[in-house]
Amino acid sequence: MDQSFQIAHEEIDGVPVVSATGEIDVATAPPLRDRLQSLATSGKSTVVVDLLGVTFLDSTALGVLVGALKRCRESGGDLPLVITEPRILKVFEITGLTGVFPIYAGVDDAVRSVA
Amino acid sequence: MSTTGSPIATLGIELSIPVPADLVVLARLTAATVAGRAGFGVEDIEDLRLAVEELCLSLVGGGKDGRLHLTYECENDAITVTCRYEDGDGGAAADADDLSLRILDALVDEHGHSALDGQPSAWLCKRRSDQTA
Repeated sequence: MDQSFQIAHEEIDGVPVVSATGEIDVATAPPLRDRLQSLATSGKSTVVVDLLGVTFLDSTALGVLVGALKRCRESGGDLPLVITEPRILKVFEITGLTGVFPIYAGVDDAVRSVA
Repeated sequence: MSTTGSPIATLGIELSIPVPADLVVLARLTAATVAGRAGFGVEDIEDLRLAVEELCLSLVGGGKDGRLHLTYECENDAITVTCRYEDGDGGAAADADDLSLRILDALVDEHGHSALDGQPSAWLCKRRSDQTA
């Protein structure tokens, strides 16, 4: 696994927030998928995903996030993302996913939207 | 990103990496180095890095065996990357997924899939845009 990739998890106002840092690619996406699946299994229908520290993201990562979004919405929840880095936003824009995910510029804003 | 060193001119660079795809990071690092040496700007380098990743993933999919053979050629302000998947277990290569194709469409000037020596392959061409390197 890429040593620069890390996942952290905390709860803010009762909302789970998963923060990823580093490069999310075909090698590092599986741990993120596992973490999000684990939260869904434990009954968390809404999860904020903080991508502020992400420096690279490919279609594998997008697939993980889209899968998690589907699970959340099937359970009546949502999967807000936190992104400010233009390079990362660009990947969502060119794949048409900015209209699919709620995207916020800060974790607090994302948590407030679902708390 | 900025790299230093001798210009690569029209030299071809070859890279062979084992599948599974978690070593595709080497393909995109090489792409960034080649583009930097060729005087591409930061935006172009970042575009090429992601495009090369998607090129590889579009061939390998969830493949767990075989090798990816990449060539990087730079000529006339354009970089062409060709990727051939030598599938170790003889299974069919992955169909390029929609997200990969959308990303490639947006980031490079041309791309395509074909077969080289009976093996699935894909290529892309990225031209240097007008920006400060």
